[in-house]
Amino acid sequence: MYNIFSLIFKYIFIVIIYLFILSIIRLIYLDIRGIDTTSLDHSIYLKLINRKDTLPFKIQEYYTLKDITNLGRANNNEIIIKDPYVSKNHLKLVKDEGNYYLEDLNSANGTYVNGDRIMDVVKLKNGDRIRVGQVEFLYVNRE
Amino acid sequence: MFKKRINYKVPRNLLVLFELLALFLIFIYDKDNFDKYTFGSGIALIFMIYISSFILLRISTGDNYIFLIATMLISIGIIMIYRIDPALGMKQVIWIGMGIFLFFISYFIVKKIKGWKDWTLLYGGVSIALFVITLLFGTRTKGSLNWINIGRFRFQPTEIIKILLIFLIASYYTNYEKYKEKRFGSYYLIGIVYLFIGFLFVQKDLGTVLIFYSIFLALQFIYEEDRKLILYNVLFFLVSGVAGYFMFSHVRVRFETWINPWKYIDNKGYQITQSLFAIATGGFFGTGIGLGHPDFIPEVHTDFIFSAICEEMGIFTGIGVIMLFLILVYRGFKIAINQDDKFFKIVALGISILFGIQSFIILGGVLKMIPLTGITIPFVSYGGSSMLSSFIALGILQVASEDLDLGEEKYEQGT
Repeated sequence: MYNIFSLIFKYIFIVIIYLFILSIIRLIYLDIRGIDTTSLDHSIYLKLINRKDTLPFKIQEYYTLKDITNLGRANNNEIIIKDPYVSKNHLKLVKDEGNYYLEDLNSANGTYVNGDRIMDVVKLKNGDRIRVGQVEFLYVNRE
Repeated sequence: MFKKRINYKVPRNLLVLFELLALFLIFIYDKDNFDKYTFGSGIALIFMIYISSFILLRISTGDNYIFLIATMLISIGIIMIYRIDPALGMKQVIWIGMGIFLFFISYFIVKKIKGWKDWTLLYGGVSIALFVITLLFGTRTKGSLNWINIGRFRFQPTEIIKILLIFLIASYYTNYEKYKEKRFGSYYLIGIVYLFIGFLFVQKDLGTVLIFYSIFLALQFIYEEDRKLILYNVLFFLVSGVAGYFMFSHVRVRFETWINPWKYIDNKGYQITQSLFAIATGGFFGTGIGLGHPDFIPEVHTDFIFSAICEEMGIFTGIGVIMLFLILVYRGFKIAINQDDKFFKIVALGISILFGIQSFIILGGVLKMIPLTGITIPFVSYGGSSMLSSFIALGILQVASEDLDLGEEKYEQGT
């Protein structure tokens, strides 16, 4: 009686172990793929222009934008950049009728769009370069 | 997102299914004298593993796989240990329970306390103190002086020193600039590590010497700027290997039985030949649990558990165990690459190398690929200290897999 069970179970055990390994590998695969393609096709996003490894703090290659996106050094922002030249609450990106408007929140070192320091709210268009502290972003809107 | 969440459950449920089936098998085996205690602790262990991986998914933002992989290895190991000796199996259940508890403890301690990277002297001091204690109060088993008895409790200090060594090397290379300015600064670390290895030679614990050397060489290869030191190190490794061969008779025995065990099948080569017979008997699918004879191999529950697994659960399970270790080490390297904090980056690397090299040495040993050195397979073999230290290392690896915002205080002064 026990022998029969043992003989059947050895196959079941092997199947389970391999399914387990397979499912872990599959999850890891999804994990790796998820890093590269964060479904950027349809959305509006900021792309980092600086080379990532030249910056001494944590930063992403891409930031997708929500309806209201805050950027700054404090942790309550959507985009957090731990650059000492970025203010705690540095700037705000607001969506209105498919376009984004950039507003500087009285930051100490200012925000530059295409090299000019902005004073008022600015409407962004595709290809604008936004410089904040040491970081430079490209604004991409393909609609 | 939704799809991803369902997928996380798959390996966890497979694990529980595996454990429940194993418990069911024990139940059929022992159905005449049904032992409530065994059954209860089995259920408790399954429940504990399930709940732990569930909790971990909630509290940790880091890696979710390493704990699952480790618990799968444990499940394979505990089935085999219980089958070889039920009393040892019950003890192992208690060790696993304590190990999981220590996993969470070390996870929280390492995460909460800041400043691990500055305590280089502390790690060195504690390790040396442990070595001295072992030499003074240790007991000798099977030729190596590496156990300390405290009351009824026995433990192997080298298991803890392994982790301290990784911390020591990591903290040294994190503060590398500081040490480099001092005179002979780059020789400090080598001095200390060789002191450790000297202690281990005195204890005749040569398996651990190999692990220490590998961890040190690997980390030095990655982080040392003075490249000629690595060359010296490799040369010294070769010299001490040859010296060990002539100095210690049991190293010669290991080497001879590796070259040709069949000549000494009745005495020195008995263990390794029995291991090879066991693996060969099992074939691809094994004889079935409880139907083989793994008890012919001496030390089958610790060093030779892999042969027992191959005999009764098949070569496929053996390959599965090796693959699980591969994924574990791969995840460890991935964690090290993603980690921004230099100290934890080196620690994660060190721990992955520790798991990798330790399993490589013993799996290679029992398969007669390399000369046999008696060390435990992490998570699989029977052994309290080994289980606990492996879980502590896993807890530290779990911390290293998270985004640690340690550099934040530096920027607080800015506007």
